[in-house]
Amino acid sequence: MKRLLTHPWLTIRVQIALGAIFVIAAWPKIADPPSFAHMIYNYRLVPSSLINISSLVMPWIEMLAGLALILGIWKSAARNVIIALLAVFIVAISINLMRDNAIDCGCFNVADRGKSHEQRIFDMKVDVARDLGMLLLAAQLVYASKRERGIDN
Amino acid sequence: MNRKTIVQTAALIVAGIILALVANAFASRDRKLGLVGSYPNALTLPPHEMAVFHSQAATETSPPAMMAPSVTTAAPGQTPASTTVPGTTKQPAATAAIETVGLNPAAKNPAAKTPSSLPPATASAPPLPTPTNTPPDDDPIKRFPPHPDKPYVEVTFADVNWLHGKKVLFLDARRTSVYEQGHITGARPYSVWESDIDDKVRKLFDERGDPQSQSLPIVIYCSGGDCEDSHMLAQKLWGIQFNDIYVYKDGFPDWQQRGGPVHTGANP
Repeated sequence: MKRLLTHPWLTIRVQIALGAIFVIAAWPKIADPPSFAHMIYNYRLVPSSLINISSLVMPWIEMLAGLALILGIWKSAARNVIIALLAVFIVAISINLMRDNAIDCGCFNVADRGKSHEQRIFDMKVDVARDLGMLLLAAQLVYASKRERGIDN
Repeated sequence: MNRKTIVQTAALIVAGIILALVANAFASRDRKLGLVGSYPNALTLPPHEMAVFHSQAATETSPPAMMAPSVTTAAPGQTPASTTVPGTTKQPAATAAIETVGLNPAAKNPAAKTPSSLPPATASAPPLPTPTNTPPDDDPIKRFPPHPDKPYVEVTFADVNWLHGKKVLFLDARRTSVYEQGHITGARPYSVWESDIDDKVRKLFDERGDPQSQSLPIVIYCSGGDCEDSHMLAQKLWGIQFNDIYVYKDGFPDWQQRGGPVHTGANP
């Protein structure tokens, strides 16, 4: 099982898939920072003065980390950044789920889609589950890398 | 995590910051952001009950579109009865007073204009109404008096339509790209999410910064529903002493649905 989980065939595909997801997610945010700033504002977790700078910088970090994973360069740095981002997303959405603050997550789309409160709450739960799934993919990369290093040593 | 990984992680983040700043510097006006934003209530949860607060006028004026407006209990020139949203804080610049009024001049004056007799679309910004030499029933300031103690008062279609007929200033708080697809005739684009909002607010202040002009009604709207952009813009304007601001709660979709005059393109 361990060998299967850390097989290079699987690892390379997970790496490319995770990288591609981040590149795809970053693009709409880079294309329309004001809409992404609006999304961040809706979370009601970021101080007013940090909303704009977060909405400008975060998508580019997502994009670079995703590209690094796809291209196989600075893999461990990209992995760390992606794990940190996913953790932030999961915590932020979960806090708003607990507060019953229905929001569009702004993960892959920054347009207001005019959903109802219930639809948004349901989608937020799906978003958390999806992010946890991506976190598992990232964990596979970490595990495979550790094992690879262990074998090398 | 070894040293090399830490350096690479830091480099990735720094590269992201640099790229973000460069991209923002070259972005078009409606895609650009100021580096430091100013958004009221960034850490305050919105009240869910917002949608419940419609004026009596609105609840009694259901479609058909652009029909003669509704019955109201507010007397002409009377300060509107209001309802404060529960759960709001008492901070002056925050959600201090989200209120709803039901003022409908046509109900008091059967001969008042029906919406279908509204003036045609104009390509220029609406002129300032003259507060003198107008009968009390017809004077926007008398009907919608300044309320310096609160940032805005929410109004519904009937009131908005009457104010539109009086050519008061309308501001569209939605994104410019959305504004260009269709807006209330005469409204100016004032998106709170675009970098030039402070310049526009400053320009408005230059245009009507004297106390008399600041007491003229201004109507702000966005997309209705849970859209808060109009409320944010209202708070910005209230912060620079504009004290007669009305937020069209149901926003552009309601206006369009009821057949209010709409203009497309970049001009008001």
